[in-house]
Amino acid sequence: MRLKILKIIITCLFGCLVLGLGYIQIIRGSYYQSLGVHNCIRVVPVEPSRGRILDRNGIILADTQVSFDVMVVPQEIKDKDALFSFLSEVLQAKTKTLLNLYQRRKLASFAPVTLAENISRDQAIILEENKFRFSGLLVEVRSKRTYPFREAGAHVLGYVGRVSPERMEKFKSYGYTIEGMTGYSGLEEYYDNFLRGGEGGVQIEVNNRGQQVRLLGMKVAAPGQDIGTTLDARIQQLSQSFLAGERGVIAVMDLDTGEILGLVSSPSFDPNDFLDNAASQRRASYFTDPHAALLNRAIQGQYPPGSVFKIPIAIAALNTKKLNEHTSFICNGFYTLGNRVFRCSHAHGVQDFIQAIAHSCNVYFFHTGLILGPKTMEEYAHLVGLGRLTNIDLPYEEKGSVPRPDALAKRRWSKGDTLNFSIGQGDLLVTPIQLLRMMAVVARDGKDLLPSVIKSIGSNPVRREALMHDINISKVYFEKIKRGMRGAVADEAGTASLLLMNDMIVLGKTGTAQTSGGKSNHAWFVGFCPQTKTRIAFCVFLENGGSSYNACRIASELLREMKKQEIL
Amino acid sequence: MMIYNLRKAIWITIICIIVFGLIILYSASSQSTRVTQQVFYNQLLFSALGLLAIFFLSRVDYRQYYDFAYLFYGINVLLLIGIFLFGYYALGAKRWIEILGFNFQPSEFMKFSLILALARYFSDHKPKVSFYNPWAKPALISEFIIPFMMTAFPMLLIFKQPDLGTAILVLVIFFVVVFAAGVSARYLACFFGLCVLATPVLWNLMKSYQKDRLMVFLNPNIDPLGAGYTIIQSKIAIGSGQFFGKGWLAGTQNQLNFLPERHTDFIFSVVGEEWGFLGGVALLICFYILIISSLRVVAQTKETFGYLAGIGFVSIFALQVIINIGMVLGLCPIVGITLPFISYGRSSFLVFILMFGFLINLAKKNKIL
Repeated sequence: MRLKILKIIITCLFGCLVLGLGYIQIIRGSYYQSLGVHNCIRVVPVEPSRGRILDRNGIILADTQVSFDVMVVPQEIKDKDALFSFLSEVLQAKTKTLLNLYQRRKLASFAPVTLAENISRDQAIILEENKFRFSGLLVEVRSKRTYPFREAGAHVLGYVGRVSPERMEKFKSYGYTIEGMTGYSGLEEYYDNFLRGGEGGVQIEVNNRGQQVRLLGMKVAAPGQDIGTTLDARIQQLSQSFLAGERGVIAVMDLDTGEILGLVSSPSFDPNDFLDNAASQRRASYFTDPHAALLNRAIQGQYPPGSVFKIPIAIAALNTKKLNEHTSFICNGFYTLGNRVFRCSHAHGVQDFIQAIAHSCNVYFFHTGLILGPKTMEEYAHLVGLGRLTNIDLPYEEKGSVPRPDALAKRRWSKGDTLNFSIGQGDLLVTPIQLLRMMAVVARDGKDLLPSVIKSIGSNPVRREALMHDINISKVYFEKIKRGMRGAVADEAGTASLLLMNDMIVLGKTGTAQTSGGKSNHAWFVGFCPQTKTRIAFCVFLENGGSSYNACRIASELLREMKKQEIL
Repeated sequence: MMIYNLRKAIWITIICIIVFGLIILYSASSQSTRVTQQVFYNQLLFSALGLLAIFFLSRVDYRQYYDFAYLFYGINVLLLIGIFLFGYYALGAKRWIEILGFNFQPSEFMKFSLILALARYFSDHKPKVSFYNPWAKPALISEFIIPFMMTAFPMLLIFKQPDLGTAILVLVIFFVVVFAAGVSARYLACFFGLCVLATPVLWNLMKSYQKDRLMVFLNPNIDPLGAGYTIIQSKIAIGSGQFFGKGWLAGTQNQLNFLPERHTDFIFSVVGEEWGFLGGVALLICFYILIISSLRVVAQTKETFGYLAGIGFVSIFALQVIINIGMVLGLCPIVGITLPFISYGRSSFLVFILMFGFLINLAKKNKIL
């Protein structure tokens, strides 16, 4: 009985479907036919305005401003020659160039093609006034991205551009369109989803002559959300000016929270150039630049750390109890292994543990390295976060590499390798952000932290979370290493005595890393200020910058200037 | 003889539907910017394997499912919970889970395993009120509350994904099986009343896009670019097909990329545009014959488990056909339900293969008994 009821219900519903199909296809068929065959419905996209990027004090780092674009709708063009000669006259461009552009960008007959972007207000008015003479011509008001600080901190911000075909492939299901803008590198890419907002548009019904018959409806574009960052525009500008003409990195981080206050990589680029057609040559030069201006050296550059690596070695030596702070070695200025001579900066004489860090004595650490053995050094390199991503919220971070003594590809690990490893040379490669994080973790007595650039999205504060790798060793050991790092600054013979200031306590470690191919050495200074208003860790790196003295000089100028501007 | 013919009818209509579906999918994917022709070849391979699978499944004694019914159900519920822990998002909802390199939608399989579990439950606990004994005192807990809990738990999990369409289908499965099992009409009436009362609560629990879809169903023109876009384009496509259709590969709405999701949920609009009223009705007739023959098989089944599971399978199949075509025609809200055997999508395809394997076996057993 009940089965019969079911059968009846199903039969009735199928009947409804047939009736519905008949209604749409036979009774209303000719109406839909007219909508369909003549392609009468046109969707004109309206781009959302992109969210701004702000620094920690609300200063605008990336803004969105209004601009005018010229577009033509292929199916509505009647007199193509007249239209293009008029356009070339107003836009002061060759007709041929415009026609080429048109052919290249044309997708479908109903989709508007952009011919010129960011034209002047006057040009926009002239075109708008003549719109009725040339059917198919459109002037669109579009929002444009600007970066008021230009080169300063461009790598963290990134830039925006049209969606590339490869990206379309990846993101089309998320509503990206070929005409839309998307972020490339930096925060613009990492937080693109929040910044870009949702595309809107109007849908209109047009007759077969392309004139609008009625508005079917519209959807207002949803503006993107503003992104608040932890950056300080003042530090960004200072860092940029100190690195002018150099290749290198300055990175500053809040010791207590992991917030990145400054992150500048040099040489830099002007993100405004990516949106300005007049700057196409400069834009092209960024991609061919032998010094790779688009590379964010702070997170993507991989370099030997040199003597900065003595910090994890020192941690290893104390924690494995192979050495204590009274262990001394004599430095004659060199160490001989077979017929090879490994040099120190000069003959330091008798050095204890603290002095060896303060004076960065290579011979002392050769001895230490041989006592520890390469496996232990590898283990501690990983412990302080080398060879592993810091998970900063910027795209394309590199993780460097830590040599694996028991798995070399082509040859066996030798004692000479151990000596090189113990002073941060050889196959060991790190990124500046990794050393910065390492220094902060040492300053916090082993407590790990997550470097972050994001502070808020829209009006919501953001806290990022990641797996933490605390270094669980005795606080006493950290105190001893810190005494050595303070010695580097405060001792007369310390390697960083330039940073001795009477109104600020600085601790840190220098590094002068040798490079192959006869280029000058890389210069490092990585340190922290434990007693300032905002407690910071910082890293100054100069690629082929010569002696670590140069890095110390920039670090001291930066700290003095930050003190003067009352940031610290 | 009669039963043999039923099996033949089921086989022939399934093959007709699948072949027609492939022809349509070839057209739907030929000019698409969203998907490549690869979709068609995937489905071709899958259809061939699917038909083979039905053949072998129909040789498996359906009563074996009785033993595994609760096991299937349990595993499936665990998978649904697993989605919350390990599943990944796609298109705004967390529905997929990866096992051994394959992406599954456990919510699709839930239709199958819930029906089996309910069928087994009612074959073990026959309702006291039946046609033979209409005045027995019904037992609320064993007849209604327990099976309802069995349904409600997976349904909530699916609803939270969020997948409104499948959640509703799961509820309807419950209703149909309970109805067929002969549970007291009083309970059914009360339950129906409660559902109506619960609607406002449900409305508040819905995601904003689900609310949008319902609103747009009432008036597609309020949001022609967003939620209403699909339904307007779909109606234009179907309507402009008129009586004879525009011909294979000649649908302008289809080939000019006006129709979104036309290889999955909205594939029927391609049928309407390119094959017209004739093609649409032909497909509907195929579906109708398949459903009615299957119902006949079920009607001849004497054994409760097979009877209830069979009814569940046929009903869910019929319901998906009706809801999917209904939403493409703008007769009911867009809830993201696929057109069986025609829409591109493996999980959904596989589930119906399992169901028809079961039904054909049922037909075979009827012949022997």
